[in-house]
Amino acid sequence: MQGIAKQDLNKVLETLSGGGAALLVPMEIDGVTRFARWEQGAKTALGAGNTLLPPKEALFPQNEKVFNYEMSNEEAKIVPSAAAAEETIILGIRPCDVRAIQALDNVFLTKDYVDELYKTRRRHTLLIALGCTQPAPTCFCSSVGGDPLQAEGADIMLWDLGETYGLEALSDKGKDLLKKIDKFMSKSRGKKPAAGKFSLEVDSRGIAEKLHNMFEDPIWDRWYQKCLGCGICTFICPTCHCFDMQEKHTGQWDGYRYRCWDSCMFQEYSLMAGGHNPRPTKKERLRNRFLHKLCFFQERYGMLLCTGCGRCVRECPVGMDITKFIKEVSEVSLNE
Amino acid sequence: MSDPSGEMRELAKKLLENGEVDRIIGWEKGNLWYQSPPLFITRAEETDRLVFDDFAINSLVTYLLDERDSGKKTGIFVKGCDSRGLVRILQDKQIARESVYVIGLPCSGKKDPRQALSSGASESSQVPPAAKCEECLYPNPVIYDVIIGEAVEAKAKGDRFAAVKEIEAKTADEKYAYWTSQYSKCLRCLACRNVCPACNCRECAFDISKPRILAKENNLSHNMVYHLTRAFHAAGRCVECGECERVCPMGIPIMQLNKKIIKEINDLFGPYEAGVKLDETPPPLGTYQTSDPEEFM
Ligand code: SF4
Ligand code: SF4
Ligand code: SF4
Ligand code: SF4
Repeated sequence: MQGIAKQDLNKVLETLSGGGAALLVPMEIDGVTRFARWEQGAKTALGAGNTLLPPKEALFPQNEKVFNYEMSNEEAKIVPSAAAAEETIILGIRPCDVRAIQALDNVFLTKDYVDELYKTRRRHTLLIALGCTQPAPTCFCSSVGGDPLQAEGADIMLWDLGETYGLEALSDKGKDLLKKIDKFMSKSRGKKPAAGKFSLEVDSRGIAEKLHNMFEDPIWDRWYQKCLGCGICTFICPTCHCFDMQEKHTGQWDGYRYRCWDSCMFQEYSLMAGGHNPRPTKKERLRNRFLHKLCFFQERYGMLLCTGCGRCVRECPVGMDITKFIKEVSEVSLNE
Repeated sequence: MSDPSGEMRELAKKLLENGEVDRIIGWEKGNLWYQSPPLFITRAEETDRLVFDDFAINSLVTYLLDERDSGKKTGIFVKGCDSRGLVRILQDKQIARESVYVIGLPCSGKKDPRQALSSGASESSQVPPAAKCEECLYPNPVIYDVIIGEAVEAKAKGDRFAAVKEIEAKTADEKYAYWTSQYSKCLRCLACRNVCPACNCRECAFDISKPRILAKENNLSHNMVYHLTRAFHAAGRCVECGECERVCPMGIPIMQLNKKIIKEINDLFGPYEAGVKLDETPPPLGTYQTSDPEEFM
């Protein structure tokens, strides 16, 4: 396998970010690990496990302008926004988050609907994934069909081999990029490492089929009550992609429309114009989140909307544990 | 501290069996060793799940708001800090005293699950005490119908306003730089509001969509409106349970601002401790006196 010495990492990052590409790597900023633009001298947090904030904001920012409007002489002018077409490299993205981007691709690019803003960003984004040799205590990607060491859909795969990073191009774009850092590459004697042990494991096979018939099951009554109805689990989830549309009036006759992240766990999310709320309590909202992740998305796109990154398990302040939920669903007997 | 879970279970079972309460809110052991999340039970046979260990850190009192109109009676476990939150909710007349059966638990300090993870600990003894517990002044419940266990001594370490004084010593520009870097991180997930016993409005201004009072666009200016409004609304009513800061995934020092306000209120009207006595006069900013030094009053 080819590799680069760790001591050359800074030079490699410098080369990759040369030519004006935005190079996003995991960093710790004000106590929060997230993907941020690398600049000479910045310290990466590549070895710190998965980041608190997923890289989704690079493709699907928390706020994004959709169009500007301007009214004059009884005429309305609408100017759609164009996404910045900046070449972007996301380096150090973990396999679970690469799968999450595949889920976002499904939402924004398939089934007869193409989101131009997302498409532009996505087309200019290259993914350099870092395999996980030691899953964190909250990781469970292997339980939902993921592989911690291999990120299908990434352009280049990296593995931490101790003194070096082993690497392999998975796409043509990846191969081209490797040429740019050719001079740092050597033949590494290491081979693809073995995955460490997971402390969180659950059997999720058949979960979507089972949940399909559990809309009215009493399980929801047992699960919703402790939820605070906050937006933590959805905002930090790499796959959650709900957004709201809002306007900002910058003057009397002009302004812009933007979209911003929304959360199905918010009371106001499903509130309709006439005042009716079809998901009136936390029960219906939690049910929606779990069903979307574990049933509806699978039915529509053939994959779960949970990639096992474990962020919600780690950050939910009331310990809402989706793996425990999956296990409990598997224990429910439906033919009483 | 001896493990009170045996007594807790027995009492909860009795309360449910003889119909004294409709439901019990306590804590149970989670999937992971460092989690003891909230537990809701309505059947006597489930009471064996109740625990009160190092990680029973969540305050349970804001859940009472979910059922404020149901007419149900709840048996609820409270630590010292939680009990002050309960006083807040009662004083604000959100629930009737008769709608709760309060089981007090003196508390010798809890641990934070996120800290358990970030410290890389493999068992509870390796996890440091939670930040909010280090400054606790009321480890014993201030309101209860029955208490389980012996009273413990408050062992707050150092000056509870130390972090406030640190900020006060900064120049205006430094303060601005500090707070803006903190508020820029805010996701506006609203967890800090939702967990707060002082945030008990039926409809929060931040949830109103017509007209929208606070734009949903996440930026520093809106985030600051959110934070300052929240802090002022809780002024004089914050019971220092520290739950807002504990739940914040972004590590924003919410209590630092809350404590600054508490310190100011103490200097101006004090000493005043919110949520300690149920029958005391309303909080300083929730009342007025004709002898108020402000002439316009
Ligand atoms: S599950 Fe947890 S993180 Fe999600 S809304 Fe409920 S309390 Fe918040
Ligand atoms: S549901 Fe939770 S574990 Fe699954 S992808 Fe989202 S944050 Fe990660
Ligand atoms: S869930 Fe899997 S891929 Fe994601 S960080 Fe953990 S081990 Fe790596
Ligand atoms: S919990 Fe933290 S991130 Fe969420 S709204 Fe409050 S301060 Fe912001």
